[in-house]
Amino acid sequence: MIRVRGVHKYFGDLHVLRGIDLDVEKQDVLCVIGPSGSGKSTLLRCINLLVRPDAGDVFLEDVRVTAPEIKPEWVRQRIGMVFQSFNLFTHLTALKNVTIGLTHVKKMGKQEAILKARRELERVGLGNKLDAYPAELSGGQQQRVAIARALAMDPKVMLFDEPTSALDPEFIREVLDVMAKLANEGMTMIVVTHEMGFAKEVADAIVFMDHGQVLERGTPQEILERPGHERTKSFVGKILR
Amino acid sequence: MVRLEGPEVADLTLFYSSGFHESAGRRSGPVLGRGGTFIPGRTARERSKGVSRLRCLPWERLAWLGVAGLTTYTAFDVLIFVGELGYYNVAYGWSILGVLAFGAQITLALTATVIPIGFAVGFLVGWARTAKSWFLRAIGGTYVEFFRGMPPLVLIFFSSIIVSLVARSYFYVEDAAPYGIGAGALSLALHSAAYQAEIVRAGILSVPAGQREAADAVGLTAWKTLSRVIMPQAFRVSLPALANEFASEIKDTSLLSIIGALELSFWASLFIRDALALDLNLVFVIWTEVALLYFAITFALTRFLRTVENVSKVPGLEAAQL
Repeated sequence: MIRVRGVHKYFGDLHVLRGIDLDVEKQDVLCVIGPSGSGKSTLLRCINLLVRPDAGDVFLEDVRVTAPEIKPEWVRQRIGMVFQSFNLFTHLTALKNVTIGLTHVKKMGKQEAILKARRELERVGLGNKLDAYPAELSGGQQQRVAIARALAMDPKVMLFDEPTSALDPEFIREVLDVMAKLANEGMTMIVVTHEMGFAKEVADAIVFMDHGQVLERGTPQEILERPGHERTKSFVGKILR
Repeated sequence: MVRLEGPEVADLTLFYSSGFHESAGRRSGPVLGRGGTFIPGRTARERSKGVSRLRCLPWERLAWLGVAGLTTYTAFDVLIFVGELGYYNVAYGWSILGVLAFGAQITLALTATVIPIGFAVGFLVGWARTAKSWFLRAIGGTYVEFFRGMPPLVLIFFSSIIVSLVARSYFYVEDAAPYGIGAGALSLALHSAAYQAEIVRAGILSVPAGQREAADAVGLTAWKTLSRVIMPQAFRVSLPALANEFASEIKDTSLLSIIGALELSFWASLFIRDALALDLNLVFVIWTEVALLYFAITFALTRFLRTVENVSKVPGLEAAQL
C-alpha cells in the first residue's frame, strides 16, 4: 500500500531523515515509536507531501507520489491525516469541518456532503455535536471530529501524528477506542504514538526510529518484550518503566 | 437601561425549535453584550442554521433608535438655548446647512470610492506580503514602504496634476477636473491600502500554522485554503483595526479639497473665508456643523463594522473578559 524508499530530509543543516525505508501492507496498522526529535512526524509528513523529501521516493499503490507531475492535492485526498493538536478549523462547526473537504475537494453536492459528514461524525460517536464549534468541544471530542474529517474523504491510508499526546488522560481512551475500531474495520494506518498499550493491542508491526533512521522493525511482542537494538531497549525500558 | 422582554421570548422559541437542548445552559441566543444590551445581528450558530436575520432583530434595536432620537432632540434644544444667549447663530447655521449637506454627500461618494478600492488593494498586498514566493513578498514590501512613506497630500497633488495634464494635452478633454479628482481619490485609496495591507498581514499571521497544514492535509488547493480557511479567521482578527483605518479614511477625503473636490471641508473653507471678515463666532458655527457631519458618517460606518464583528464571533472562542 505504502512504500517509502531511501527518503532523506534536511531542515537547513539538520539531517532529519537519513534514508528511511518503510513498507505498509493493505489493512495493516504500523506504529512508529522513538524519542522526540527522531524524525517520526517528519516521516509522516513526507508520506502525504506536507513536507517534500529531498531525496528518495514514496509510493502509494504503485503510484510514485514524489514524482513532480503528481499534484500534492491528489495525494492528500487519498491519505487522511490526524494531528497532535487537532487543527480543526476554528471558525467552522464540527459538521462544516467535515463537509469542507467533501464540497471543495471531492466536489460533492451540499446535501450529499451533509449526509456523509453526519454519518462520519456518528461513526466517531459525535452525532449530537454536529453544530458545536471546536472551542466548545473537549480535546477528545475535537480529536474525534478531526478523525471524522479525515475519514470523510474515504482515504486509502490514515496517518496519525501522536493523536493522544495533547489530550488530558481522561479523554485518551475515547480516541484510542475510535482508532482501534477503525483498525478492526480494516483501515490501513500509520500511527506515531507513545501509547504502548495501544501499540501492543492494535499494531501489526512496530518500527523504532532514532536520529532519522529506522533502527528496528518487528511485531509488538518482538519490539516491546525482546528488543534487539541497544537503543530500542533503553527507550522501551524508559517508556514502560 | 431599558430592557424589553420581546427578544428573550423569541430567542427561547428559536432555541428550543432548533434542537440544541443538549447545549442548554450555554449561550445560544443572539449575543448579549455587557449589561444585557442587545447587539444586533445573528450569532454564528444562527447563521449556520440559516435562521433569518429578521428573526434576530427585535425591539431593542428600536429602543436604541428612540434613545438616539431623544439625545439629538435634547442636543438641539441646548444648541438653540446657546443661540439665544448669542453665542451660536442658529439662523446662520441653518443657512449654510444645505450647502454643507451637499458637501457631505460628495464626501460620502468619495468615501464610497476610496474605501472599497483601498480595501481591495490592501487585501491583495497584505496577502502578497505573506506569500511563499519571494517575488510577491518583494512587491508587497516595496508597495507598503513607498506608500506609507509618502505624505498623502503630495500623492494627491502630483497624481491629479499629472492625470489632468495628460487628459488635456493627449486626449483633448475639455474639462479635466473630474479626472484629476479621480486620480487624487485613487492615490488616497492606494495610500490607505498600504496601511490596510499591514492590518491584513497581521490578521494572516495570527492564524496558526496548523490551520494551513490541516487544510493541506484535507487536500484543499492553495486558493481554497486561503479563501475558506485562512482569510475568514484573519479577517475576524483584523476587523477592529480595519474599522480604525476606514474611519480615518473618511476624514482624509478632506485632503481632496486642495484639488477642487467639492466636498464637505471645501465648502467649509469657503464659508470660513467669508465668516472671518464678519464675525468670529460664525467660524465656530461652521466647524461645529462640519464636525457633526463627519461624525455622523464615521459613526454610521463604524456601527456597521461593529455589527459585522459581532456576527463573525465564534461561539466558545471569546477573548479574555476584563
